[in-house]
Order: sequence, then structure tokens, then C-alpha cells
Amino acid sequence: MSGKKPSGRILPREKGAAPLDVVIGVMAFLAALALGASLIADRAAYSWREGLIGKLTVQIIPPEQGDAAAALSQETAAALTVLRSTDGIVHAAPVSQQDEMALVAPWLGADAMVADLPMPQLIDASVAPGARVDVPTLAAKLKAAAPDSVLDDHSHWIGRLKSLADAVIWSAYGILALIAIATAAAVSFATRAGLQAHHEIVGLLHQMGAHSGFIARAFERHYTLSTLAASAAGASLAALLFIAAGGLEFAGIEPVPFLPPLSLTPTEILWLSAVPIASGLIAWVTARLSVLAALREIY
Amino acid sequence: MVRFENVGMRYGPGPEVLRDVTFVLEAGSFTFLTGPSGAGKTTLMKLMLLAEPPSRGLITLFGNDLAVTRRARFPELRRRIGVVFQDFRLLDHLSAFDNVALPLRLAGKRAEDYEQDVAELLTWVGLGDRMQSRPPTLSGGEQQRVAIARAVVGRPDLLLADEPTGNVDSEIGQRLIRLFAELNRLGTTVLIATHDRSLIESTRAREMRLVEGRLVELRARA
Repeated sequence: MSGKKPSGRILPREKGAAPLDVVIGVMAFLAALALGASLIADRAAYSWREGLIGKLTVQIIPPEQGDAAAALSQETAAALTVLRSTDGIVHAAPVSQQDEMALVAPWLGADAMVADLPMPQLIDASVAPGARVDVPTLAAKLKAAAPDSVLDDHSHWIGRLKSLADAVIWSAYGILALIAIATAAAVSFATRAGLQAHHEIVGLLHQMGAHSGFIARAFERHYTLSTLAASAAGASLAALLFIAAGGLEFAGIEPVPFLPPLSLTPTEILWLSAVPIASGLIAWVTARLSVLAALREIY
Repeated sequence: MVRFENVGMRYGPGPEVLRDVTFVLEAGSFTFLTGPSGAGKTTLMKLMLLAEPPSRGLITLFGNDLAVTRRARFPELRRRIGVVFQDFRLLDHLSAFDNVALPLRLAGKRAEDYEQDVAELLTWVGLGDRMQSRPPTLSGGEQQRVAIARAVVGRPDLLLADEPTGNVDSEIGQRLIRLFAELNRLGTTVLIATHDRSLIESTRAREMRLVEGRLVELRARA
């Protein structure tokens, strides 16, 4: 017996499919960037929230008249007494002059002139995890004990940061949805073109009694595999960019000051593999539906 | 097996290609379909192999009235038909072996179960040494033999052949006719469309002739 195992490929190798691979690869690259941005924004928002939640800051403004230093010292002591006697506050301590100078240094510099500025006294307070502090009541008590004090529980800042992070995350999701639609449209178009190019083969298989599912599988396989390969290349390129950004940060180069690091953690890099997986799934479903719809038009 | 009742067929708004065609192919029969070019032979074959719906009339295939048969059942009916197309319609990217194995593959059979049958059949039609050749490298006659092997490999209930001996010499032609006769003896209903009078005269099979879209019974079954 000199026969051989049958070829698995019902359709011939497609020629001229490179443009589709390029389109899918570029879209996967953009999708991976959007997904990476959403992961960075989510992580940043989490770290900002974690850093500020449970913290209170009391600012005591130096009075403009009289002995400012003495008044500042007296009001600071009074505010500390109020804070330390408040249920739920586990820690309250004034911020040292040196730490305050370090805080303003990025904006004002650190020369002798800055040291002469009337700096407010800051007090850091920590709330026990799970404890609730009645902020308006505490602010009123502080005001009574130290008239130049201002209490900040950071809720306004946290709210704005959350809005910003949410905007970034939802924009990324929107971009991902648009890319998914564009991928589906490109694969649908390519499948239709493939059906047209192979209409004689499809017609013959149909004529010989092939079920629509059998013919659809030949196309699904082709477009799913080529989409997986192209989107894996695009997502890998994006992953390399994020890794390179991490390398820059590791070398002490801050890409954008005051923004979170633009690199991804190894776990987040793994998340980028969702892009080729999702692209492959989209290609599979789209190719199948396109072929089945086209075959329904044949008698 | 096959019943046509007052079947008419026209393509779009054109004239009727087939008119009031009525006939029955009994199970296990052997029939020649003859007629001049353009008489409607190929259209009649297309209707029988479910490639086109008729414009009017009733077609019953394997006991199924096609007008009321669900389309989802058509693949199953088509797999019971072996077809030799006039233009062969082989898949150029597959070897002769894979082309012949295609109906068995579509029927869901495993390669190890049909490998030997396919090889033996290809040897029988004289292509034992060309199994791995692709159709573009085969001569017209060799391609025709691959097409015939593909049509008969699944032992179909109905075999339709459009000019199956048109490209082969008389010796191979007679051999192929013996193949069809053997298949017919095993129970396959055979309909061969041909112009070859010597082929028709070599058997005592029934002959149906199409003239301008109308069917004329020339010779009843033997």
C-alpha cells in the first residue's frame, strides 16, 4: 500500500493575506498599549488611594501679627492634644521643618530664601484601619483649640484622582472595544474575500455533501491561526515597549515627572496575552459566522 | 430512487432550459442520458445532484420530496450521490490520493480505515504510480480517472457522470464502463450523460434523450 495520510488542509495556502496580518498586528499593538495604560492607571489609582486613605493632615497657618513662632508652637500643641484625644486616631505628629522643606523643594527650590518664607506647620495623623472619624466635628474642635488650623482628610484629592484614573481606564476600554470591532470587521472582510477566492472549492465541497460546519472549520482554522500569530507579534512589541520603559526607570530616568511608572509588572505583562487570545476568539467567531452566512446563500 | 414530475427549469428571466421533464430512475438501474449540446443534460444533472432548485415541478430523491425536505438534510442526501463532472473539478492543491479520499473524509471516516481502499482504487484505474501527483501535473485522461475514482470510492447510491469517457482512449473507456457496471451490479443506480454512441451500443441499458429541453425515451430498460 503506497497511499499516505490525507493532507489536513482543505483550503490551499492563502496568498496575499499579508496586509490582513499587518492590520491585525498593528491593532493588537494598539490594543496592548491601551490595556497596559488601563493597568497602569488602575495601579496608580490604587496606590494613591492606599497612600492617602486613613491619613489626615492638619495645617496651621502662621498668624500674620504678633509672635508667629510662639503662636504656631502653641496652636500646634493644642491641635496635637485634640488629635491624640480623638477616638480612632492612632498617631499624630508634627512634620519636621526639614521634611517640610523637602516637600516644597521641587517647586520652590531649597536655598536660604525659601527657609525665610512663613511656612505653615503640618501635622500628620493616622486613623486606625476600619475606624471612622467624624471629620466636620474634628475640624470644629481643632478650630476651637487652634484658630489657624485647617483639617484636610484628602477626600477631595482622592475623588479627583479616582475620576482621572476612571477616565483613563474607561477610555482604554473604549479603545479596546473599537479595536475589537475593527478586528471583527477586518476578519469578516478577509473571510468574504477568501470565500470569493475559493468559491470553486467551497462549491465543490458543498456539492459533495460537506456540512457547512466542515467548510466553516477550514476557514476558522486559517483565520484564527493567522490572527493569533499577527496579534501575538503586535502584543509582544507592546510588551517590549513596557519592559523598555521599566528599564529606563530602573536606570533612574523618569519618563514623565509626577506620573506613575510607565512600566508593567511581570503579572501585568502576562495580562497582555489576553490581546492575542481575544483577537483569536474574535477571528474564530467572525470567520465562522461569515462563512455560515455565505453558505446559507448557496442552495 | 429518482423521480421527476413535470420539472421545468429556467435561469433568471431566460427561456426554459428544461420543460415538463418527467421520468423515474429505479433503484439499481443503469441509464444513458443523451442529446445534442445545449439540450439541457448538464442542467438536468445539476437538478439531480441538488446544485440548483427547479423552477417548477416535483423532484423526489431517495424518497424525499425536495420541495418539503429541510435544507439541513441536503448534505446527507448529497453524500449518497457520486458525481463525475465534465470539467472534473479536482482540487489542484491536493494529491490524486487526497482528491479521491475527499468523499470519505467528508463522511467522517478515519484515514486508516480508507487508506487501502483509495490506493487500490487508484491502482485499478491505472494511477497506482501517480497517487501523490497533483492534478495540474496529470494529463486530461488521468484527471478524468481521478474524478471517476472520487465519484465511486464511497460506493454511492446514485452515480451521475457527465461525459466520463470523453478524454480517455477506448481501452480505458471500456475499463471505466466495466467499473460503472460493477458498481451498478452492487446496487448503485447509474446515470451517464454521453455523446459516445459506441459506449451506449456496448450495453443494453436504457437511453433517455433530451431534445430542446424535453425528454424523449429512446430505449427502455433491458
